[in-house]
Amino acid sequence: MTVYLARRALQAVAVVLLVTLIVFGLVRLAPGGVTTAVLGSGSAHQQFLAQYLTWLGRVLSGNLGRSARLNESVGALLAASLPRTLVLTGVSTLIALLVAVPVGLLQAVRRSSTVDHVLRGLTYLCYGMPPFVLGSVLILYFAVDWHFFGAEGPQAAGIGGVLADPRDLTLPVLTLALVTIAIFARYMRSSALDSLDQEYVQAARARGGGERRVIVSHVLRNSLVPVVTLIGLSLPQIVGGALVVEILFNFQGMGWQIWQAAVNHDVPVTLGFTLVIGVAAAVGSLLADIGYAILDPRVRISRP
Amino acid sequence: MSGPPSGPVLEITGLHTEIRRNGAAVRAVDGVSLTVAAGECLGLVGESGCGKTMTARSVMRLLPAGGVITAGSVVLAGTELTALSERNMQTIRGNDVGMVFQDPSSSLDPTMQVGRQIAESVVVHRGASRAVATARAIEMLSLVKIADPERVARGYPHQLSGGMRQRAMIAAALACEPRLLIADEPTTALDVTTQRDILDLIGDLRAALGMAVILVTHDLGVIAGRTERVAVMYGGRIVEQAATSAVFARPRHPYTEALFEALPEMASSRLASRGLYSIPGRPPDLVTRSPGCSFAQRCRYVRDWCATHEPALDGDHPGHSYACFFPVGVMGQGGADGQGGADGQGGAGGRNTLISAWVSGRGRQAAGREATAVPADPAAEPLLRVSGLVKDYPVAGGVLGRRSGAVSAVADVSFELLAGQTFGLVGESGSGKTTLARLLVGLERPDAGAIVFDGADLAAMSARQRRQRRSGIQLMFQDSFASLDPRMRVRSILSEPLAIHKTVRRRGYRRQVLRILDEVGLPADAENQYARAFSGGQRQRLALARALIQRPALIVADEPVSALDVSVQAQILNLMRKLQRQYELSYLFISHDLSVIRYMADTIGVMYLGKLVETGPAQEICTAPGHPYTASLIAAVPAVVTGPEVTQPRPAGTLLAGTLLAGTGQPGMTALPGASGPPVAGPDPAHPPSGCRFRVRCAFARDVCAEQEPALRPHAVPGQLVACHFPLGPAAAGQVAGRTAPSIA
Repeated sequence: MTVYLARRALQAVAVVLLVTLIVFGLVRLAPGGVTTAVLGSGSAHQQFLAQYLTWLGRVLSGNLGRSARLNESVGALLAASLPRTLVLTGVSTLIALLVAVPVGLLQAVRRSSTVDHVLRGLTYLCYGMPPFVLGSVLILYFAVDWHFFGAEGPQAAGIGGVLADPRDLTLPVLTLALVTIAIFARYMRSSALDSLDQEYVQAARARGGGERRVIVSHVLRNSLVPVVTLIGLSLPQIVGGALVVEILFNFQGMGWQIWQAAVNHDVPVTLGFTLVIGVAAAVGSLLADIGYAILDPRVRISRP
Repeated sequence: MSGPPSGPVLEITGLHTEIRRNGAAVRAVDGVSLTVAAGECLGLVGESGCGKTMTARSVMRLLPAGGVITAGSVVLAGTELTALSERNMQTIRGNDVGMVFQDPSSSLDPTMQVGRQIAESVVVHRGASRAVATARAIEMLSLVKIADPERVARGYPHQLSGGMRQRAMIAAALACEPRLLIADEPTTALDVTTQRDILDLIGDLRAALGMAVILVTHDLGVIAGRTERVAVMYGGRIVEQAATSAVFARPRHPYTEALFEALPEMASSRLASRGLYSIPGRPPDLVTRSPGCSFAQRCRYVRDWCATHEPALDGDHPGHSYACFFPVGVMGQGGADGQGGADGQGGAGGRNTLISAWVSGRGRQAAGREATAVPADPAAEPLLRVSGLVKDYPVAGGVLGRRSGAVSAVADVSFELLAGQTFGLVGESGSGKTTLARLLVGLERPDAGAIVFDGADLAAMSARQRRQRRSGIQLMFQDSFASLDPRMRVRSILSEPLAIHKTVRRRGYRRQVLRILDEVGLPADAENQYARAFSGGQRQRLALARALIQRPALIVADEPVSALDVSVQAQILNLMRKLQRQYELSYLFISHDLSVIRYMADTIGVMYLGKLVETGPAQEICTAPGHPYTASLIAAVPAVVTGPEVTQPRPAGTLLAGTLLAGTGQPGMTALPGASGPPVAGPDPAHPPSGCRFRVRCAFARDVCAEQEPALRPHAVPGQLVACHFPLGPAAAGQVAGRTAPSIA
């Protein structure tokens, strides 16, 4: 287990380094002396590698640069927006899991029943609908027509501030969660169908276990193994969805910020935020590997 | 065997089970009646699709989707199971009836500790606390003779070998000491040596716990000597039921007889050139009900009467019933020989001499040599000469995944194969057979050694050069379902090799495909079908066709018949031999089944942990093996001994060795150490034992075996090479177990 995790962590570090290289390389390729703008005028005559190392050194010491447009350090912008995005993606992913796992399991157990068909239709609908359409529809009905919820995301600062405003938080979270639920539930359904087909499920029934026991102690855990991997791998996708949702609901998180920076050619901010998202993706897949190892002993324990 | 029946534990009467799917109803079980008494073992035999498993599942009421018991009763110790609610049925499962499944690699939950799975039924039925459950799991693991039960109970299934998993599965099925154990093909997925151990274990536990056992199997060898009674199923019905000894001595239903004759062990009772008897056609589809006997279409003694009248299950002797108007041995021989044509030859004359090849036989081998007409000229240049072949697989370890060791898959293997002959490769799983096959066809590159084929060393060639030559050697896979692309039509599958090697012009493809389909006995319209449209045997014919279309000189066949029913297996073996004669093909035939190898091979090679431990002429090796490992493999093969001589079933646990090893009457070669006692974990190919790799499982090992690796040395018969410091002498072979000191050759 330790060796396995150590190996995965090393791989994650390598991935992050590769991300920095690619991100910096892209900036360097962009026209208009962007690199010089980030690194200062003294770097203009330097080789790519020297520039990269200078930048990497700064990043590692916590200096992500400064936005000339907003006259604020990238670090400060990140400190303001990261928690907000964490709340949005965290809450919606949690809700998605809590809904999708039972829904997928139910669909698998009641395969081809009316419940299965209805739920399949709904998940297809959410899966196929772009977040901005889904969000707009939700705003139209729940905010504009019925005034249940706010049309704009919470504007208060910090994690506490965002969570203290459930009325405004509901629609952004719901928009993001519905799409995620659709992805997870469809995956959970097929994964649970696979597990239900396995002979060890028959064997558990043959030992006299009731259907509930068989599903909870044998089917659920085995079906979660591939789902956990999917969650880790879909983290970047969720962050991407968050970008759209944040813009739609004027919720000033990382997605909103990076969009603003990209539109206004605010290179230091784009660079810094892209880097953080890259790290988040690497951490996500590391977490997925850990969850995978917890669920599946074949990964945890090698053959003696 | 145990005492006389004391009232039935299980009584099935007129059971009908249907599987309803897509508007059609498959009558999987069509009026089955049987009883099993306490302490009795009943064998349920038949081809796949004949309703054996569905009968077993009906007892458990664990039917697949759409499965319904439509009529009949299943009474278990006075309780009518078909009338129970699902909740009450759950109190029966695992408590009164235990079940063991076929594939131990898939019947244990990979994410749950072994001990918890074993104790699950105790928790469910007895409400045992965690501590009690753990104690019970450990107790059960020691009962099934697993060493270090505490550690195994805490471990996970993937840490156990196949045989140990099946032991754990048995432990789980028996944790509540059920009255009845249903074992559904419990050893089909296991090696012969492990199979013997598991069957012995079930036999021991049956006696110890006094439970009834239903042994479901397609393998008649498994039934022999381990069951009191046999029920043969065909088309969802029981067609013959009697004491095992009676069925083996004198099968009455033509289907039973045909099953026996399809066994390769039976080969000696007929001329080799005629091939094994194979049952034509397939089991009935069980959807449409046709009048008359369901076996009529495949029966060699069929009369007009059979097509219109349905035979009832009754018999002339008490206790021996069969559903046939013209049972074997009463009528029909004369007519049958007339009607049966070439396939009918075994009918009457052969029947009374159906004595296992293992006992008497050289018939087939001698005749076979003439038939194949390959002069065994020692001076002839072999088609294939493998020398000093080595293949190691690196094992990655540590945080950085550096190479930390190697699994020695093939270690210094050398042999020769003459054109037109068959080299049979035997060994347990993990012995390196498949790796050797992959090396030969160029799917892997050897680390050392030479593969001289048709005068050129393939091992020394570049991948490109090899590709140009590869058509000379073709591979036939074990799993024809997985090795045929499901999205390609047969025409494309068969013409693909032609396109790759560009040996034929595109216009010629179709002609080649049709010709090859005809040769392997498939209809011409098969070219437009997909692989899924074919049965297992037909798919294996396709696999053979794909290998053959390049006109190779050598076909490497990796377990080509191990997934097939005996009757289909016989068809494929016959076909392979026919094509061999026709084209002077050579085969490298890999199998874990010694009787198949013996039937097919001219020369046998026995592999153990990557080493060739014995090689030589097939017949001689099977009758007088020189290596203790070969001897133990042979001893583990279940015996099928039929004929009037056999009146008593072989006592459980006694091996075939007594009859096999020169017939001294000694209860010969004992099991591998660990077979009956606590099992020794198989040696790890990453750390093979020093000296002789077999020594840790060898009953005759001495100090020298650990120090010096034995080389292949000539043994008793010309051509026989044995790698053992203390090979079994030809004369002493039968007294293997009895001798006190190993004879030093």
